[in-house]
Amino acid sequence: MLSRRLRQCLFILVHWIVNILVAVYNVYYRFRDKKYIAQGDEVTKSDIKLVLEHVPKVTKKLKHLVIQTDRDQHTYSDLARMVIWSLLAGITYVSFYDISGHLKKNEEQLFLEVEKKKKGIPGCIKWQRKPDLNGYTNGLRAHTIVINIFTHEDGLPKVAHCIQQIAEEKVKCTRESSEFTAQELDYVLKLMYPSIPDPDLVLYTGPWCCTHGFLPWQIRLTEFVQLSLNNSVNIDNYLGALYRYNKCDQRFGK
Amino acid sequence: MDGNRRYAKKNSVDTSAGHYKGFDKLSETLKWCLDLGIPEVTVYAFSIENFKRSKEEVDALMDLARDKFKSLLDEIDQINEWGVRVHIAGRLSLLPEDLRALVSKAMLATRHNNKLRLNIAYAYTGRDEISRAASHIVDGVKNNELKGQDIDSELVSQTLELTEPELMVRTSGEVRLSDFMLWQVSNTVLYFSDVLWPEFTIWNLLVAIIHFQRYAPPPKEAKYFSGEKQKFFDKLEDQRLKQLEKYVSC
Repeated sequence: MLSRRLRQCLFILVHWIVNILVAVYNVYYRFRDKKYIAQGDEVTKSDIKLVLEHVPKVTKKLKHLVIQTDRDQHTYSDLARMVIWSLLAGITYVSFYDISGHLKKNEEQLFLEVEKKKKGIPGCIKWQRKPDLNGYTNGLRAHTIVINIFTHEDGLPKVAHCIQQIAEEKVKCTRESSEFTAQELDYVLKLMYPSIPDPDLVLYTGPWCCTHGFLPWQIRLTEFVQLSLNNSVNIDNYLGALYRYNKCDQRFGK
Repeated sequence: MDGNRRYAKKNSVDTSAGHYKGFDKLSETLKWCLDLGIPEVTVYAFSIENFKRSKEEVDALMDLARDKFKSLLDEIDQINEWGVRVHIAGRLSLLPEDLRALVSKAMLATRHNNKLRLNIAYAYTGRDEISRAASHIVDGVKNNELKGQDIDSELVSQTLELTEPELMVRTSGEVRLSDFMLWQVSNTVLYFSDVLWPEFTIWNLLVAIIHFQRYAPPPKEAKYFSGEKQKFFDKLEDQRLKQLEKYVSC
């Protein structure tokens, strides 16, 4: 066994080298990403063209997209643009997982930002929690997208609450054998959530992946894909993430 | 531990050879973990959903498990010397009777070891584990061991078979949980690696650990439970042991 001091030195040395390598990579990454800083935060005509061009190539069904968000990482404009791109891409459900709990309190601000960016784009956006904000669909064939915001409370605490309700016999959960099966519990849990399909894809930004307690029951088959390393949101990394979800080797980007 | 079948295909050997190779990799990885001083390792060996695979493959996997648990019991002195505690997490009632007796025997024979705890998720899914914990809690309330208002996420966590991991490594390029430890991963660093499980090396493990060391969130403080709740957990543990003894004597 190595002595304690030697191990500590090794630990520091290894992490020091990794830090340098990561710093070099970050400089390269920022350089590559530079063009988007000048582009501003509007949904441009070229964005629309790109989405319409590339989305038909993503053949794996994507019904429910989740975006992990933290107040320090993304602006309302970042989030609103992703809603509009998803509307164009024909995704039916877009949910935000609000890690800090800030977005849920400021849902109206996101709503205003989305409305601002939606101008001229066909389709209807429904806010699950705020039916009074929902507009009317123009024409019958317009695509509709449903927005949800989930927080920590919708995760473990909600499942625990459901178990409590069963224990206190406020809801009925049938039990064929001595232990509940997943199907039996699923039946009751479904009643506690808005009727949404299980998420197909979670997009996260930053260098490491974590569920942060997002809907534990629903994420069993959800794919976790990194949108960007440095929290930036742009059309290329959005489409790139959809391609990775689709498991295409085909690389997006010019 | 993904990619055994893909490995078999890549190297033109049959599927069960891939699974045997995967098992060898597991014992190798355990040795690394022991050397690195990691006190608890959990592996996902067989999901409840895997029962839906072809009969030949399921039978071959059950034979592999029988084979390995038999040799584990043969080498029990060595295991005890290393201080490895083996725990099989899952719905054991779904296993063939003889295999169930074997795994129960292995769990009972190693239960006093404390250097490394090896959890093998077998006939397991995360949803199923939550459902089983829910049943125990509901029964606890029915038998007046718990009160309804005692139930919160901490209590559920403590009732589950598996504890919260700090780092989860998934091999072969898959980026989903596949119904593994759904409840426990809310604070876990998820590390996805493209390497196929039989080709996993110590370098892959070390890279995963360095990644974890860079980003790990601060550890949560240990929870203390009131006397009543603690009594419920102790009773549950006791029940589990009795169940295992019953399986062995079957």
